[in-house]
Amino acid sequence: MGYIMEGVKEAFNLLLSLDREIYSIILLSIFVSFTSTIISAVIGTPIGLFLALKKFKLKKMVTRLLYTFMSLPPVVVGLFVAIIISRRGPLGHLGLLFTPSAMIIAQTLLITPIIMGITFNNAKEQGQEIRQICMTLGGNRWDTLILLIKEMRISILIAIVTGFGRAISEVGAVMLVGGNILGHTRVMTTFIAMNNSMGNYSMSIAMGTVLLVISFIVNSILYKYVVGD
Amino acid sequence: MEININGLMKDYGERTVLNIESLLFESNKLYGIIGPNGAGKSTLLRIISGLEQSTKGEILYNGCVLNKPILKHITFMSQRHYLLKTTVFNNIAYPLTLRKYHKKIIENMVDEIMMDLQLFELKDQLAISLSGGEAQKVALARALIFEPQLLLLDEPTANIDPNSIKLIEKLILKRNKEKKGTTLMITHNMEQARRLCDEVVFIENGKLKVQGKEKQVLV
Ligand SMILES: Nc1ncnc2c1ncn2[C@@H]1O[C@H](COP(=O)(O)OP(=O)(O)OP(=O)(O)O)[C@@H](O)[C@H]1O
Ligand SMILES: [Mg+2]
Repeated sequence: MGYIMEGVKEAFNLLLSLDREIYSIILLSIFVSFTSTIISAVIGTPIGLFLALKKFKLKKMVTRLLYTFMSLPPVVVGLFVAIIISRRGPLGHLGLLFTPSAMIIAQTLLITPIIMGITFNNAKEQGQEIRQICMTLGGNRWDTLILLIKEMRISILIAIVTGFGRAISEVGAVMLVGGNILGHTRVMTTFIAMNNSMGNYSMSIAMGTVLLVISFIVNSILYKYVVGD
Repeated sequence: MEININGLMKDYGERTVLNIESLLFESNKLYGIIGPNGAGKSTLLRIISGLEQSTKGEILYNGCVLNKPILKHITFMSQRHYLLKTTVFNNIAYPLTLRKYHKKIIENMVDEIMMDLQLFELKDQLAISLSGGEAQKVALARALIFEPQLLLLDEPTANIDPNSIKLIEKLILKRNKEKKGTTLMITHNMEQARRLCDEVVFIENGKLKVQGKEKQVLV
C-alpha cells in the first residue's frame, strides 16, 4: 500500500517542482484535446441537430451507424489514422505521423460522433418544438439553427464536455499516431501507460491524479454553469 | 389575409381526422372554431399554419399556395406553447428581433403589450418560472406583437382567470376592429365565441358542420 501514498506525495512534488518536462506534457495534453474538442463541436453540433430534425430516407440506418461510431475503440481509430498518414499511406506525403496534428486528427475522429450523437439524442426530443416556434414566429433556417443552439445550450455543453473528457483520457489513439515521443508527442495518458509498464507506479499515480484534477475542474465549471442558469 | 380551403383531407394511418370540402375565411375577420374534443380543430390550424402537411387538398392564402414570404405573416399559438429559456421580455420581443426592428422600437412595443396584458412586473423574470396562465399570456403577447396578417389561436383563454380573459379579448377585438388581419380562434366557450367572433365554424368528426353568423350556429 505504501507505494500509493508515495504516488500521491509524488504528485504534489511533481506539481510543485515546476518541472518543465512535466508541465509541457500536461499542456500538450490539454492543447491536443481542447483543439480536437473544438473541431468536433463545430462539426458535430450542427450535424447532430440537422440529423435530429430532418426526415430523410436512410435516417434509421444513419442513426444506427452514429450510435456505433459513438463507442469506437480508441485503438481502432488510432490504427486507422496511422495507416492513412503513415509514409506509405494515402496521406503519407504530409508527414503527419508522430506529430501533435496526428493526435488531434485521431481524437477528432473519436469524439465527433460522441458530440454528434449526444446532441442528436437531445434534439430529437426538444428540437422539433423549438424549430416549430421559430418557424411560426417568422424565422428562417439560419434563425432556427441559432435558436436551437441557444435553447439547447446546456445539453450541447454537456455533449462537448463529455467529448473533452473522452479525448483527454484516452490513450490508445494518441499512442498509436503520436508515438509517445518525449518533448514532442508525450501526453498525460501515454506518460502514465509508459511509467506503469516500467514499474514507476508513483509517477503514474502522480500523473493520474493530475488528470483527475483536470477532469474535476472542467466538470465543476460545467456544473456551475448548469446550476447557475 | 384570405384563406380558401378546398378538398382538405388529413389521415393519420387508416383514420381520416379531417375532411373539409370547402371553407372560406375572409380577410380581416375574426372567426371562432368550435367543436368537441378530438374533432380536428387543432389539426386544421396546424395545417393552415404550415406546421403539418395535409394528405390531400389545397389551401390558398390570398390566392397563393403557402410559400416563405407568406409564412412570415402567419403565426400560430398552439395549445402547448413553448417559451424560450430566457426572460419574459426577450420572449415577447423575439419575433421583432427576428425582423431586425430597432432596439428602442422593440422596447416600446413590448412594454405596451405587457401593460395591456398586465405582465409588466414579470418583465425580467425567467419564462421557466412563470405560472401556467402567465406563460400562456406571454405566448399570446409574442404572437400578437408583430401583427401577423393571419393569427391562429388554439384555445387562447383556457386556464386563464376572468380578469385576464377580459384583457385578452380586448386585444383580440382591437386587432379585429383595426383590421390588422384575419384571426382564427379555437374555443370551447360558446359565450366567448358569441361575444367576439364575426362568424363561427363548427367542426365535428373532422367535418365542417355549419359556418355562419354566431346566432345561427350556436342555437
Ligand atoms: N400525430 C397524430 N397521430 C395520430 N392521431 C392524431 C395525431 N394528431 C392528432 N391525432 C388525432 O386526430 C384527432 C383530432 O385531433 P385534434 O388535436 O385536431 O383535436 P381537437 O379538435 O383540437 O381536440 P381538442 O378540443 O381536444 O383540442 C384526434 O382524435 C387525435 O387523436
Ligand atoms: Mg385541440
